[in-house]
Amino acid sequence: MTGEAEHDVVVVGAGVAGSLVAKQLTRAGFRVLVIEAGPATAWTFDGYLSHLQTFYTATGKGPESAWPPAAAAPQPDTRDLRAGDGYFVQDGPLKYGSTYTRLQGGSTLHWLGVSLRMLPEDFELRSRYGVGRDWPLDYPSLEPYYRAAEREIGVAADVADQSHLGVEFAAGYDYPMQRIPPSYSDTVLAAAVDGMQVTSGADRVTLKVRSYPAARNSIPRGDYHPVGAVDERPKGQRLARDLGQRCAGNTSCTPICPIQAKYNAGKTLAQADGTKLQVIAQAVASKINVDAVTGEVTGVEYQRYDDPSSPRHTVHLARGRAYVLAAHAIENTKLMLSSGLAGASGTLGRNLMDHPSIYGWGLAKAPVGAYRGPLSTSGIDDLRGGAFRAQHAAFRVDIGNDGWRATTGAPDTAVADAVLTQGLFGADLRAHLTATLPRHVRFSLNVEQLPSMTNRVSIDPRQVDKLGNPRPVINYDIDEYTLAGMAAAKSFYQGVFRRAGIDDRTDQEHAAWFPTVTYQGDMFRYHGMGHFAGTHVMGDDASLSVVDTDQRCWEHRNLFLVGSGSFPTMGTSNPTLTMAALALRTADRLTAELSG
Amino acid sequence: MTSRREQFVDASAELTGFPRVQLFGTGMSDKYLQALDEILSVEVVDEFLALCTRAADTSGNAGVSGIVQHASWGPIARNIIILWYCGTWTALPDAWRAVHGTAPTDLDHVVSAEAYQMGLQWVAAGAHPAGARQQGFGAWAISPAETVS
Repeated sequence: MTGEAEHDVVVVGAGVAGSLVAKQLTRAGFRVLVIEAGPATAWTFDGYLSHLQTFYTATGKGPESAWPPAAAAPQPDTRDLRAGDGYFVQDGPLKYGSTYTRLQGGSTLHWLGVSLRMLPEDFELRSRYGVGRDWPLDYPSLEPYYRAAEREIGVAADVADQSHLGVEFAAGYDYPMQRIPPSYSDTVLAAAVDGMQVTSGADRVTLKVRSYPAARNSIPRGDYHPVGAVDERPKGQRLARDLGQRCAGNTSCTPICPIQAKYNAGKTLAQADGTKLQVIAQAVASKINVDAVTGEVTGVEYQRYDDPSSPRHTVHLARGRAYVLAAHAIENTKLMLSSGLAGASGTLGRNLMDHPSIYGWGLAKAPVGAYRGPLSTSGIDDLRGGAFRAQHAAFRVDIGNDGWRATTGAPDTAVADAVLTQGLFGADLRAHLTATLPRHVRFSLNVEQLPSMTNRVSIDPRQVDKLGNPRPVINYDIDEYTLAGMAAAKSFYQGVFRRAGIDDRTDQEHAAWFPTVTYQGDMFRYHGMGHFAGTHVMGDDASLSVVDTDQRCWEHRNLFLVGSGSFPTMGTSNPTLTMAALALRTADRLTAELSG
Repeated sequence: MTSRREQFVDASAELTGFPRVQLFGTGMSDKYLQALDEILSVEVVDEFLALCTRAADTSGNAGVSGIVQHASWGPIARNIIILWYCGTWTALPDAWRAVHGTAPTDLDHVVSAEAYQMGLQWVAAGAHPAGARQQGFGAWAISPAETVS
């Protein structure tokens, strides 16, 4: 082993959580080393554009299509799900449908940007509804960090839209940017659906199509300055940083925002104090060394490679006063397990969650302008909370602006179907496509999943990657609580479609392939949302959790495991904003401690 | 004498339902012709174009329909339509390959980044290629009736 380095804090992973910690700590004057498993190609403007070219020429344009992994840092890919031969060892009974990206910037490179706060009731599921786990934190204690996170990642929304389901904002607060304008199809749908009543358990719920907060640049409020493209050059020029200060409607949040109007973690890392920050990309953390007596971490071994196409590497040791694992809910856990640090609580790797989600798609009566704008600008949130959660899972509805792209692969598949199956050509073909494509409507119904000790990531010494690091072994199932929520979500979208006069064209047999699960005789094809959570659960009892409320590891007091792995439950919120809020909270704690 | 490129664009106009000027305007005609030559051979492409010219001259739309439904020429014609609409080449059907042979370049692929962006499917949708030719902040809030020509 060579190249021992001394820093105040060693951060593993340059995604959103690691970048926020690195920015805060360097700005507080601490020397931070960030080691990142993947290449840093998205860090330069030209490098980012090369990913855009990769996307343009990819035959399948799935979430990972712009972001191929390095040989030394493999990653899950939705294309591998059907054959089950990808990075994950899918050990059943069901397939885990989500993926993430191991590049500098992490999965924020291809996230949708939805930045919802969790509901106050989400933190108290056990107390209020007798299901799941309670958080050791409540909404009011996290609220200041939500505000800080909304500023750090740049969230566009209006408090007036978001103050419901018990979500409260500090007096006088509004988001740093005005809401992203709702799409034309949102407006059409709202005209038909707003005021519609549905029954949920014993409750009558009145629906409203609602704009949701998104980490996409919009018109700023007050002194906020939208952060544009990342453009780090050797001599310090940042020529492209003014690009992307407004969303321009590229209809491509996932897999790649061409102008970086959508937040990615590189923006945060670029705001760190560069004189205090060292980033080593293409460096795979492989082992955490601990002092056998104190349990304190003494160093992190990492495997540095020069050639992303080759597993050839050299081994190094990173040393600091404190260590922050921000490598992802799965990778954090994998690294702990492979370092022999499973811990005494028996919870590490367990409680793996996602938002197993279903699609509904249909044809509107008149053109709604599909295939234009940010992939989704509004949703229906009214069944995210309520007393029914004692019986079944809550769900949230994303209304797509990208037609049937996610569900069937349209417009390409719509063309292929018209030409190859229907035999259309010439003026008839053009007329058919012009008459149908702009009417495509898609809902994604994202269903809550509760923690379960048997849903887990583990490792198996026989299953390793090219560097000899363990591949994640996933055991995953979807329980009755979530399945009942899925069934409710299906009835829900069917009712909304009827109300809005949308012809339901949901045809699971002739759609993109997704894993299936059966409930009460009905088959559901579910897709993952990329929302991994729960694997290093936070708690106030060391015997039942891996980290405390500061995301500090109970058994290794200078080690922090940050990210959605710390979530006891996830509700129906996309986890990034909450992950960012928790990371900022941890950075505050670390700053105070290291200063002391 | 009509150039090969013009022959190709004439045939493509019949196949796609888009006028010649719009097809020329994509800037893709030479690239697509080159791709066809590489996958099918110049001789086969010439024969196909001659057939299309004769069909259009003698029986108009019915003639083109005959080509689209033809056992040997149909798969090529349909692939050319998809090429213009999506910028992608689709591997020819196994039954076609069994008779006419296979080329190493006859694989599902996006012809180029430009081909993806110039796909006519986006025009038909009244939209823009995902990830390119952005419409601008807030354009998505405008009724498609105001944007579809």
